[in-house]
Amino acid sequence: MSNLLASLLSSAGTLEAYGQVLETAQNNVANANTPGYAKQRMDLYALPFDPSGGATGGVRAGKLETARNEYAEAAVWQQNTAMGYQEQLVNSLTPLQSRFDITGNQGLPYALNKLFQSFSAWATTPNSEATKQTVLNQAQALAESFRQTSVALGAQATDAENEIHQTVDTINQLVGKLANYNQIALQGNKDDAGLSSQMHATLDELSQYADVHAHFETDGTVSITLNGQTPLLLEAKQYQITANLAMPQDPPPTYPSAPASMHVYGSDGSDITGKTTGGQLGALLQVRNQTLASFIGDATQPGDLNRMARQFADRVNQVLTSGNVSDGPPAVSGVPLFTYDATNDAGVAQTLAVDPSVTTSQLATIDPGPPYVSNGIPLALSQMATPLQDADKIDGVSYSQFYGQLAGRVGTALNDATDGQQVQQSLLAQAKDLRQQYSGVSLDEEATILIQFQRAYQANSRFITVLDQLTQSAIDLLK
Amino acid sequence: MSIAQQLAEVRRQLDGACDRLTAPSPASLDACAHDLESAIGQLSAFRPNPGDAQALEQAWHVQRSFLRARKLMESAAEFHENWARVRGAISGGYTATGEAASIVHQGRICLQA
Repeated sequence: MSNLLASLLSSAGTLEAYGQVLETAQNNVANANTPGYAKQRMDLYALPFDPSGGATGGVRAGKLETARNEYAEAAVWQQNTAMGYQEQLVNSLTPLQSRFDITGNQGLPYALNKLFQSFSAWATTPNSEATKQTVLNQAQALAESFRQTSVALGAQATDAENEIHQTVDTINQLVGKLANYNQIALQGNKDDAGLSSQMHATLDELSQYADVHAHFETDGTVSITLNGQTPLLLEAKQYQITANLAMPQDPPPTYPSAPASMHVYGSDGSDITGKTTGGQLGALLQVRNQTLASFIGDATQPGDLNRMARQFADRVNQVLTSGNVSDGPPAVSGVPLFTYDATNDAGVAQTLAVDPSVTTSQLATIDPGPPYVSNGIPLALSQMATPLQDADKIDGVSYSQFYGQLAGRVGTALNDATDGQQVQQSLLAQAKDLRQQYSGVSLDEEATILIQFQRAYQANSRFITVLDQLTQSAIDLLK
Repeated sequence: MSIAQQLAEVRRQLDGACDRLTAPSPASLDACAHDLESAIGQLSAFRPNPGDAQALEQAWHVQRSFLRARKLMESAAEFHENWARVRGAISGGYTATGEAASIVHQGRICLQA
């Protein structure tokens, strides 16, 4: 009798299991066009068959498992993060590149070139008041150009800071949204396919902004960490991140008056800036704290624009004060032309100016030598355009070349980011395709596919190695 | 066909390989291998003239397309390799040396040409 009952129970259980499979299939059809929805599959498992012990076999439905492969999801999020990074780099570096004109028709290189031309003209007619006045005018134009470039880069830094604040706010908002979904899951809706698709769509969006890692718990909630370490969400508790300008104190700043850097903090106040390297947030921090800081300065550096302004001003002043306005007796020395705030190494470009008290009659023309050269000072100044001695150079190159290097740095970074963006678009498409391929695939099918892939990779990797050498050889041969 | 045109053809093949790799399947990878092999054939027969600026520009494009193809190939391979490792660890645990167990395909027969 007991065996008969057991058989009946087994049949009932089997029918119920197959009923749930049908329900799952219907749900898949109904949600076929829902964004973020992945097919679900009902796993069936066999019960032990042992009639003597009352085990009657049959099948039972396993827990309702989403067929979405978390691994494939994580791969898409990873590529989303990389895509967000490259896109943001392109967006931030494009306006920055426009600040560095390399045509020589405007901006700093133009002003520098005009000043060098005025030095040459002055050397040709050393006693002409008009040419001296032109020198004063062009020096003022150059100082103004340094100030404008510095202000423009400062404004760009402010823009980046605002964007970092906005990005952090967006991250907190999206995590807040996921915290609400977790609440719903904890209320007994862990198997709600609609909820799951909303969570995945939000995670898709979140992953563009930062390198987030998500882990789905058995209770249906999702835990999220930033950079794999900083908690953002655990069950329904959200841990907000913040961003602020700060001057690091340990070690003490070498340039305390320089612009502060942007820092991102975890909810416990720990500084996570150094670890935040992915997504749009990572790119914004890179542009603000590395790229822009290399021009305008930070706690550890005065910034190349300030360095260039200071070294140029100091050299011109040094040459002018080494000369004489008249032979005398007594001989009258020349006066320095440029002024700047010497107390702030990172503020030189922004404060560079021509001393308003300097007149044409105070510009030294005579190099007392030996040897004595009546137009030695303008000659020495004009040689700064194509320098032969180290004192006229900056980092071993002329001032025009140095500026070209600064512009080239931005240009190269933008080119790399543009290339990276294109590659990343393909990688993201690939990750989405792989996610799609595996959605709903049984483990048996997958095993076959994995073997086929392995074989195909082996064939392709040999060609890749050969092509690597051939493409490089082609370039070398054509150079 | 000029050198620049030859290189443009190689680039076209590599871009085709990239398109296939964007949607990787065993079949598309086989087709991709054909593209790569063909690109190798053309580049091997390549006899350039140094200083040909147009050809050099194309060569840079070829290298860029190749690097994209390589990156896509590496990314897809890494995806499957990592997943095989994760799956091995889930189903078979770890070996004595701390590596994920390899996947055991019980009751399966695999015929390989």
